[in-house]
Amino acid sequence: MKNRNLRVARLAAALALGLTWPTARQKGFTADAQQTVSLAEVKIDNFSFSPAVLTVPAGTTVTWTNRDDIPHTVVSSDDPKAFKSKVLDTDEKFSFTFSKAGSYPYFCSVHPKMVGKVVVQ
Amino acid sequence: MFNEGFLGTAAPSIADLILLLELAMGAGLLAGAWLARKQRFQQHAWCQSAVVFLNLAVIVLVMMPSFQAHVLPKIPAKLGKVYYSLATAHGILGIAAEITALYILLSAGTGLLPERARITRYKTWMRGTVALWWVALILGIATYARWYAPHFFKA
Repeated sequence: MKNRNLRVARLAAALALGLTWPTARQKGFTADAQQTVSLAEVKIDNFSFSPAVLTVPAGTTVTWTNRDDIPHTVVSSDDPKAFKSKVLDTDEKFSFTFSKAGSYPYFCSVHPKMVGKVVVQ
Repeated sequence: MFNEGFLGTAAPSIADLILLLELAMGAGLLAGAWLARKQRFQQHAWCQSAVVFLNLAVIVLVMMPSFQAHVLPKIPAKLGKVYYSLATAHGILGIAAEITALYILLSAGTGLLPERARITRYKTWMRGTVALWWVALILGIATYARWYAPHFFKA
């Protein structure tokens, strides 16, 4: 008898979870949708970052794409380094989200002549 | 290390410095070979030893970390690209030349190796090593050009 009650209780709990789960998921989805996500892009081509200076609001995710035919990196000039990519081959990307306001200079560690800056407002 | 170079290419200063140093070492080996031809064996030994140990330091301190960071993660997948294949060929031949040179130094200049492991035909080994060294050096120059002065490769 106890076992039967336990099974009924488990079934009821499972049903309750099943009924409430989509609602909880929808709330979560709504909450996610309400966040404003900004995106910005920097192109790497012909030994330069374009745009060289990018101004974005805080919370923006900046993506660098290497359009050059040789590899480059994206490395923060700050110490300690705020961000550092691996070596980006042609068409490879690197993304970083800037959560705090400030100025973020960066360069290519393979070709230090290549410099850029992200200004976060 | 990440300062702009001084040779007018896109290279960092360390790469420019290493290029000039390697060219000087290549010339140094040829000068050392000339000393041997002039029967000045003591000076020949000092000259070649200095070049081999200086090159060993450059390989360990600069070239291997750079190779590990910039090339190793991309091979073997990207070996079809000149950028990586040149650097890899330069690395393999350069290491082979350095190891052979160290073996000659150990064999000729010390009693560390057992008798049967020592070289008997020194001239052949030394000439072969200098030739291998220069092939590696030429590949190194080509690697520098491809990495830092790619306009040489563009039509």
